[in-house]
Amino acid sequence: MERVPIIRLGDVLIGTVQDELYDHDALQLQEDLGLLLERGVAHGVVLDFSTVATVDSFLARLIGAIAAASRLLGAATVVVGLQPAVEVTLVALGLTLPGVHMALNAEKALALLAYLRRDERGG
Amino acid sequence: MSETGSVAPAQAGLQEAIEQQRATISELLTPVIEVWDGILALPIVGSVDTARAQDMTESLLERIVATGSEIVLLDITAVPVVDTAVARHLLETVSAARLLGADVFIVGLSSRTAMTLVQLGIDLSHVTTRATLAKGLALAFSRLGLVVIPQAGSTRHPANPDRVTP
Repeated sequence: MERVPIIRLGDVLIGTVQDELYDHDALQLQEDLGLLLERGVAHGVVLDFSTVATVDSFLARLIGAIAAASRLLGAATVVVGLQPAVEVTLVALGLTLPGVHMALNAEKALALLAYLRRDERGG
Repeated sequence: MSETGSVAPAQAGLQEAIEQQRATISELLTPVIEVWDGILALPIVGSVDTARAQDMTESLLERIVATGSEIVLLDITAVPVVDTAVARHLLETVSAARLLGADVFIVGLSSRTAMTLVQLGIDLSHVTTRATLAKGLALAFSRLGLVVIPQAGSTRHPANPDRVTP
């Protein structure tokens, strides 16, 4: 059991998931992010899964729930670094994570968040 | 015999008092505030039932027409529980205001409320929501093309620059 550290960089929160993400820690991550976003500290969330080897249906659904709840609190969620094997499994399970933005790496995720923010202001 | 004689009028009096209080509460609970030219705020305190939602929507629509406002901030900070029924009432208010051409942001969601809404599977994908009234106001300003800048020479800087220049 290991709590996922959340780094605040400007107005973006970055959660780096280490190796295995157990259900308990995933729920804790959801809770932690919610409490931070509730205070209005960020407009974007980046979740880095690059070291995660397995994602089950529970976790996939939870990522979707985190993204949906974050959106309600005014922040977009970008998932980065999903390994090809994990992605293949998710698609095979029919878990395509609607409502979650995807990016190849953290840098592209930040660019995407900046773009989404500009888009929102104009709209 | 004497017992039933005294209980009935007492009950009637109680009933009357309850009715009066209900009327007072319904007047108190639905203020529509013009926070800026073109921006209305509707702070909701307490629970939302059908009658109240209707009152609220009605007074909001009247104020939108009267002030010609484009943006409404529906603040649910003080709503203790947002369940399916409450969410439906809020969405009805949003839809009604939208028909008048006003954009409604739901603000003041707690993380608990956000998680509950997601778990209940309530579709809010077409509604703009923010965690705080301040964030909602900042977004409203930027939608209206307004920018808040500190006065020249002012030493008082806000803790969060995002609040001033959205």
